[in-house]
Amino acid sequence: MSSLTPLAPTPVAVRAPARRIRVRRGKLVRRIGLNAVALLVFAVMVFPVYWMVATAFKPGRDILDYKPHWFPAPATLSNFTNAIHRQYFWTDVKNSAIVVVCVVTLSMVVAFLAALALSRFRFYGRGAFIVLILGVLMLPLVALIIPMYITMSRAGQIHGLNWVLGVNKLSGVIVMYMTFVLPFSVWTLQGFMRGVPRELEEAAMVDGTTRFGAFVRILLPLVAPGLVATSIFAFIQAWNEYIIAYVFLQDGSKQTITVWLASFTNLHGTDWGPLMAGATLTALPVVVFFVLIQRRISFGLTAGAVKA
Amino acid sequence: MAAIRFTHVIKEYAGGTLAVDDLNLEVAEGEFVVLVGPSGCGKTTALRMVAGLEEITDGEIRIGDRVVNDLAPRDRDIAMVFQNYALYPHKTVYENLVFGLRMRKVPKSEQRRRVEEIARILGLEEMLERRPAQLSGGQRQRVAMGRAIVREPQAFLMDEPLSNLDAKLRVQMRAEIARIQQTLRVTTLYVTHDQVEAMTMGHRVAVMRSGVLQQVDTPQRLYDLPGNLFVASFVGSPAMNLLDVALEREGGGLVCRSGGVEIELPVDIAARRPQLEQYVGRRLALGIRPEALSESSTDPDAPRIRGRALLVEALGAESLAHVEVNAMALDRPELVDVSAAQAHLLPVGDRTATLLARLEHDTGVKPGHVVDLAADVRRLHFFDLDTGSAIPVAGVPVTAAVV
Amino acid sequence: MAVAESEFPLVSRRRRRLSRRRVGSALAPYALLAPTAIVIGAILGYPLYLLVRLSFEQYGLFELVRHKGTWIGIHNFRTIFHDSQFWHVVARTLVFTAVNVTLTMILGTAIALLIARLGRFMRLLLTTGLVLVWATPVVVAVNIWRWMVDYEFGVANWTLTKLHLGNFIHHDWFANTWEGFGVITAVIVWGAIPFVTITLYAGLSQVPQELVEAAQIDGARAWNVFREVTVPLLKPIFIILTSLSIIWDFQVFNQVWIMLGERPSPDYYVMGIYAYVTSFRSNEYGLGSAIAVVMVAIMMAATVVYIRQMIKTGEVR
Repeated sequence: MSSLTPLAPTPVAVRAPARRIRVRRGKLVRRIGLNAVALLVFAVMVFPVYWMVATAFKPGRDILDYKPHWFPAPATLSNFTNAIHRQYFWTDVKNSAIVVVCVVTLSMVVAFLAALALSRFRFYGRGAFIVLILGVLMLPLVALIIPMYITMSRAGQIHGLNWVLGVNKLSGVIVMYMTFVLPFSVWTLQGFMRGVPRELEEAAMVDGTTRFGAFVRILLPLVAPGLVATSIFAFIQAWNEYIIAYVFLQDGSKQTITVWLASFTNLHGTDWGPLMAGATLTALPVVVFFVLIQRRISFGLTAGAVKA
Repeated sequence: MAAIRFTHVIKEYAGGTLAVDDLNLEVAEGEFVVLVGPSGCGKTTALRMVAGLEEITDGEIRIGDRVVNDLAPRDRDIAMVFQNYALYPHKTVYENLVFGLRMRKVPKSEQRRRVEEIARILGLEEMLERRPAQLSGGQRQRVAMGRAIVREPQAFLMDEPLSNLDAKLRVQMRAEIARIQQTLRVTTLYVTHDQVEAMTMGHRVAVMRSGVLQQVDTPQRLYDLPGNLFVASFVGSPAMNLLDVALEREGGGLVCRSGGVEIELPVDIAARRPQLEQYVGRRLALGIRPEALSESSTDPDAPRIRGRALLVEALGAESLAHVEVNAMALDRPELVDVSAAQAHLLPVGDRTATLLARLEHDTGVKPGHVVDLAADVRRLHFFDLDTGSAIPVAGVPVTAAVV
Repeated sequence: MAVAESEFPLVSRRRRRLSRRRVGSALAPYALLAPTAIVIGAILGYPLYLLVRLSFEQYGLFELVRHKGTWIGIHNFRTIFHDSQFWHVVARTLVFTAVNVTLTMILGTAIALLIARLGRFMRLLLTTGLVLVWATPVVVAVNIWRWMVDYEFGVANWTLTKLHLGNFIHHDWFANTWEGFGVITAVIVWGAIPFVTITLYAGLSQVPQELVEAAQIDGARAWNVFREVTVPLLKPIFIILTSLSIIWDFQVFNQVWIMLGERPSPDYYVMGIYAYVTSFRSNEYGLGSAIAVVMVAIMMAATVVYIRQMIKTGEVR
């Protein structure tokens, strides 16, 4: 015991400071190195996005200059006014909004029910259904648009179907967007629901609710953040979609915003300033929403795989 | 208030596993019955069947006069306390407590009155506006209890409500729950895997194993007259010592022999168990509780077991000695509670067994010493080696099913 | 002996009696799944069936107008399998996918490991940057890169020239297929890194610290800890990310299509583009479907790996 009293200095303690400084210096060098690499990675990753925004604010003569102007000085909003006043901008924004809102609403209602079944019931065929959901999520859209096109062009001529389906119909695009938004939403939602302990609903049932009542009163409020996150992600997917809109919406007034971006390029070249302004506007809602939900959603397709 | 009655209840899962096999049990009005057993024994399933959270495959459960088999949980008028409390995280304590009353359309003023009364009783008045996440474990436990009490149900169902608390709080809440139950006199079915909890809380204790009810009785009788090897090894801490012995007739009396250990049974003891006669010349299991072994006996006739102390645990009020003796340990894992058998940590040699003995706190026994243990022959237990059933004492009725 | 029978009389045997409540709760999950199943069946199942059927049909403009194909058996498949261009496209797509996935995984892992070693501020900065990139819509991203490598005013040409890496003034990146694919790979990898990195970083931060400490006490150095503890624990997530990347990169369409101004030359055909062009530019829908069917079949392998790993890690329960 006595050897442990604080009064007994040991020879090691005398030499210690010198060594500690050397260790510290090694660590410092390492930290500076790491931070420098991190800064470089950050710069490389973010530069394209920066370049888009910077270009969008530059006057035309600064854009079309062999020597790049690194900062948008002097800045101008003319590219944005140009983009906004371009033909079909507001129409196509409206089209995108209609498509997205319909797809998200429909998917959420339908997916909520399916997620309920998958997360709250044990039944024959449950595993197979989950595998099916994951499987169809991986189907390439570019393969599916061929039969879809055949179907749509045919449905467009069938009386009774052609008011919803057909080429150049937003409603047709809405239906087709469900192919990827719905399975994704089912999968993500059931993950969120599984995070809510089942006992809470059991307690509610013992407390006097029906099973359905327990879903509404207990599960629904608790899974609401997940519902919001899933909706936003569905929103982003639908907003960003390109190929279906490109193939099926051929009329300029019927297109969505991602297809509209192509209108800046013609045979004479590309109108870079307005295009970058338009691209910034297109990306804006997505970026805002994405930042809001990123933490919740990033693990949907991989979740749980690391729990040791 | 109402009795709960299981009649030939069976629960079979999709794979064909029998979680509960022909359960017959009655919890009388106002009674506190504890269902106890190792994990996976079906006790929680039985409880959940009463709550209506689990389908009943066959048989009948009654609450009061009603067969509840096909009733939804909300129509059964029972309250349940869950292992993880299952407090609604998005509701305040007040909202949690009042939820069941709201669902039952109790008048608003009555709701408030009852919740406030319960909050006062449980000391929750200060935290009615908090959410469960802002409460300590003990407080959550109280809210969970409160949510059950405020409903004034026909019966309480409790599913290991104390297992998430630390040891000290658990002892405290144990007493509190028992006290609440005594005051309210509500029929209570309580599930736990902790036999100490079971023994201290229940009016009666029902021991289950692999879906089969082993024995139901008051804690004391369960301890004194275990119906079979499983109950004998499950109830009591530290667990009962079990030896594999041969019963022989010697002179006028009976002798149990195992290795070098010899225990002579006085004539009156043997006479109290007439069935022992049938086992003469055969082997059986002999059970001795640790407190039935002492270091020195005032009774010079008491049989002595000589062994070597391996370890002495000083527990303050007493000392627990692990004594290695030259005898055959019982090796029938399928008949005993395995977790208790494993509590005999020290290796069991081929021809040696380790006996646990409760000795005086000031015992001079040290590891390595040779000890002479005196066995109290009045407190010996005998079991059939094939069935595990206790060999009954004449005139004492067996209280429940024995496999 | 059992309890006295009189105390617990035998109730009438009602084994699995079907009460309304039981039937209700047995059917409930199917009722809840029905809308999803119907929608998926109608909008995915039917097209998928039609895709396979089309691949066995002669289906061109004439048939499109007539709304009826002509069954020609495996003729479409025979055609593409005897077409050297098809095999070139398949090989190109495979190599392209392999390069993209490898680069994505290596860079993504490296950046994840880097983030795990950073201080709070730098970590926040870098993850914010990654999220920004992740959030950028593909169509927008492609346009940005198209602008950056513009042959006249692109920032890339000027910078590379200034760095004395050669004369890039008025350099057309898409004249040479290798360089063109290089740019496309850059867009794809750049866009894919954030998902991989952030997922892997989340995995890294979930590795229990006690395990690392236990290994250190057992005498493991940093590299050993990484190899013996971190890598095995991250392996499932790594497999999932790799298979997802393969699936996504193999079906690439937008990046190539938009980058090359919606009219890529045949040298730039990957399977998705090839199936599309054959169908919608040459109006050979049957042939295009056959190509798409082969494409789905090849991707099936990666999908099976993905789903199996999801099942193994307990995601599919």
